Amino acid sequence: MRGGWIIAIFSLLLLAWVVLNDLVDDWGRLEGGMNNLVIFIEESMWPPNWSVLEAQSYPVCENDIELFCSVGYLGMMETIKIAFVSTMLGFIGALCLSSLAARNLVPLYVALPFRFILAATRSLPSLIWAILFVIIIGFGPLAGVLAMTFYTVGYLGKLQYEAFEGMPSDCLEVSRAMGLSHSSTVVSVVIPETGNHLLSQLMFMFEYNVRHGTVIGIVGAGGIGYYITTYLKFLQYDKVLALLIIIFVVVVVIDLLSLMIRSFVTDEGDVRRPTWLKGMIKLWKKRGTSTDVE
Amino acid sequence: MSTKQPVLELKNVDIGYNDALVNNVVAQVLPGEIIAVLGPSGIGKTTLIRTIAGLVEPLQGDIMLHTKKKGGLGYIPQRLGLVRHASVRHNVALGAKASISFSKTMFEERRNRVDEAVKALGIEDKLKEPVRRLSGGQLRRVATARALAQRPQLLLADEFLSELDHQNVEIVIEAVQKLLEDGTSIIMVEHHEENVRLFATRIWVIKDNQLHDYSLEEWEQSVEEEE
Repeated sequence: MRGGWIIAIFSLLLLAWVVLNDLVDDWGRLEGGMNNLVIFIEESMWPPNWSVLEAQSYPVCENDIELFCSVGYLGMMETIKIAFVSTMLGFIGALCLSSLAARNLVPLYVALPFRFILAATRSLPSLIWAILFVIIIGFGPLAGVLAMTFYTVGYLGKLQYEAFEGMPSDCLEVSRAMGLSHSSTVVSVVIPETGNHLLSQLMFMFEYNVRHGTVIGIVGAGGIGYYITTYLKFLQYDKVLALLIIIFVVVVVIDLLSLMIRSFVTDEGDVRRPTWLKGMIKLWKKRGTSTDVE
Repeated sequence: MSTKQPVLELKNVDIGYNDALVNNVVAQVLPGEIIAVLGPSGIGKTTLIRTIAGLVEPLQGDIMLHTKKKGGLGYIPQRLGLVRHASVRHNVALGAKASISFSKTMFEERRNRVDEAVKALGIEDKLKEPVRRLSGGQLRRVATARALAQRPQLLLADEFLSELDHQNVEIVIEAVQKLLEDGTSIIMVEHHEENVRLFATRIWVIKDNQLHDYSLEEWEQSVEEEE
């Protein structure tokens, strides 16, 4: 059995290699490629240009703190705002649709059309939604919000109905036997029971939308992406790198926030663990005691 | 023959998933009756309860539930069906929510029922606690409190007294007395004969794919004969 698995994995890897070989017509291109990258980074990107965190020359900054008038701050804040609003709107929209798409909550003939709607909204990437909304309502953050909301509905909707379908059946059976309505079951049983998954998905989607805010900005739907595109056009790669680092830091902060928020609804939150500081003090004290004995 | 209107009637019902576990069940449950369902593991006791709850389609026959009010059927499954990540209050309130119709006073009524139920089960100090943090016995008391807050006409309970020590069994039985006074009927799957003697008024024994309906005395007699 084990040998069978090894042969299967080896065969798949071999197949992947054959397909790759078919796709790549000239392996010689790899030669010197890394050198090109190093030269590009050394000459054009490094060090990052932190002037993106200084106040813009126009419009005139009226704030005492210069940072608040900078391209990096304004762009990032707009991206976060777009991501926040679209994540919240998309989350509510997805909840409504996914509760009607989960097989354990509704009959198949109800679930199928809603799954189809979710698949349709998901199959268009947020960039295409952004192009569509820029055409409909013009450049600006509203196009970004709508684009991301639609994509969020499709993407979160799928994650949500999969979480609903994976929940224990006994509490659903109780609510069904007791005669609770579909909406009461969703609000009072399904959402609290899958709360941890929903929160995790919500935070993931927010982080995803922050990252994708950079992409939709490229087509004029607002946010930090607009500035990245502008700097790319003017070959100011050092400023692009600085903005990318800012995005990275924001994504890490969101991840930490997500970890903290989820701890309130998981079993992990029930266990009181010592903080790293208390742990270090304890370790230091222990070390002191053992030295004394010696 | 009693003149009371039965709360549940089973007419020539075959119970099972693909093949019938119990054939041709003919039985009825009157208000205030406590029926203990007995039989070895895997014989179809839980399937019978799930079929009456409407969660499994009967293979044949009619199940007639004559509950008149909203949320007239209560159910405590083996795994209790509690919302693990929600608080005790939330779980108990679900019962009240299922049975109280929309009105001006519904929130107040719901709150009163929850307070009354948790007090009866002695878990009033756990109201804000998430259910996942409770012990097995406490969980059973929460599930019973949910049924108490619901005040159903027929309560289906699958081994809801198991995992409880003698003291907790007494607390639960005392709390459920209130339901019985209001005319609630109970069908419960039970393994412990002492609980059956303490609690049940009639016995359904599943044996050889048949449901045998006994009064308590008849059942005692059949147990003695078997011994």
